[in-house]
Amino acid sequence: MTDDPHTMNRRQLIRHSAWFGAAVGLAVVGGEVISHVAGTAQASHVQGRPALRFAQVSDSHIGFLGKANPNVAGSFSQAIERINNLGYTPDFVIHTGDLTHLATPEQFDQVKQMMTGLRTPHVFTVPGEHDSVDDAGQKYRSVFGAGTRGDGWYSFDIAGVHVIALVNTLNLKKLGHLGADQLDFIAKDVAALTNDTPIIVFSHIPLFAMYPDWGWATDDAAQALSHLRRFSSVTCLNGHVHQVFSKTDGNVTFYSGTTTAYPLPHPGDGPAPKPVTLPAGQLHDALGIREVSYIRGHDTLALKEQALQ
Amino acid sequence: MNYLIRFGIAVTLTISGISHAYLYIHGYQHIPTIGPAFMLQASVSFALALLILLGGPAWLQWAAAVLAGGALIAFALSRTVGLFGFSELGWEPSPHAAISVVAELVTVGLWVVCLVERRRAVAHA
Repeated sequence: MTDDPHTMNRRQLIRHSAWFGAAVGLAVVGGEVISHVAGTAQASHVQGRPALRFAQVSDSHIGFLGKANPNVAGSFSQAIERINNLGYTPDFVIHTGDLTHLATPEQFDQVKQMMTGLRTPHVFTVPGEHDSVDDAGQKYRSVFGAGTRGDGWYSFDIAGVHVIALVNTLNLKKLGHLGADQLDFIAKDVAALTNDTPIIVFSHIPLFAMYPDWGWATDDAAQALSHLRRFSSVTCLNGHVHQVFSKTDGNVTFYSGTTTAYPLPHPGDGPAPKPVTLPAGQLHDALGIREVSYIRGHDTLALKEQALQ
Repeated sequence: MNYLIRFGIAVTLTISGISHAYLYIHGYQHIPTIGPAFMLQASVSFALALLILLGGPAWLQWAAAVLAGGALIAFALSRTVGLFGFSELGWEPSPHAAISVVAELVTVGLWVVCLVERRRAVAHA
């Protein structure tokens, strides 16, 4: 006991502890209830398994030689292994660009050979700017361009979802660029679709202004998105920025994926997006793959990031 | 007066909590870090609201102000430099963003009123 009004006697301490305990207990109960409601809401839409499950891998930069990752082929192999051990067979795997570092025939051959190890019915790709350094993507298209249109863009339908793969790495000045032909393709491609068709868009460079000063944006993306605004669910997945980032804009959600090669700085952190060399043992925490699930009736896709560690 | 302020803080906390819980249930649960943060914000808001209403000690109101202020800072970061790799535009998602911000501003405002009242009471004592 004490006479100092600023100190606490035992009874007060017990009382405050009880209030604190009640606050923690109620918060835990509230969290449980919210989780349960969220789980029930999700379960009510689920019939068996998700309608569509796929994996995203990006920016493998096969052929990169540098301190940031002296063995990009090894980390890409780990990424493939991680996808092959998801516990289910993904409906497809998408590589969102920069498959190679310098777009040489040997690098294209190596990455293609490595991706034959993916246990999935389909492997899709879009080119990064590193895949078209000296020939506007000709070598890329000779290896990965079968069945594509224009400069390598395409679309397909799977499990009731319409998927569009775009090429915004050719005709680069500073920002990504789609061009009139591709914008025309998008307009015609979605014209016959109903508004409730879920749309997934793949591109290498973000279709949102993540950091234009570093070229992390696409100059004519607004025109492309204008054709997609009427759809209730549009999900845009990209690579290029070597880090997880997301942004929502009405019914359109953008998700940047990480890399399997080397990290880049956060937007504006330094003068330019140069490869970051992490302390020993930390690299594989920054590298990873992404699982994506679509549950029929949901407006948003479920994403799960997995580090290579 | 004091009861009215406590009641007001409890109501605004609940409104902010409902908005966050709704967004968590309707999609935000899938956003890394942000999803769990929304659930935490909602569950702590509900807990504090109930205990403040039941006449809990003053530090519960401080906790409410910190929670509301933190949510406002997180909102500002998500509209500017991003928060845990997440960013949103303007008042999207509408109307939940605007409802939460107004509720949190009122929570902080009521806490300030409560603080001033308490200091005044101490000065007069």
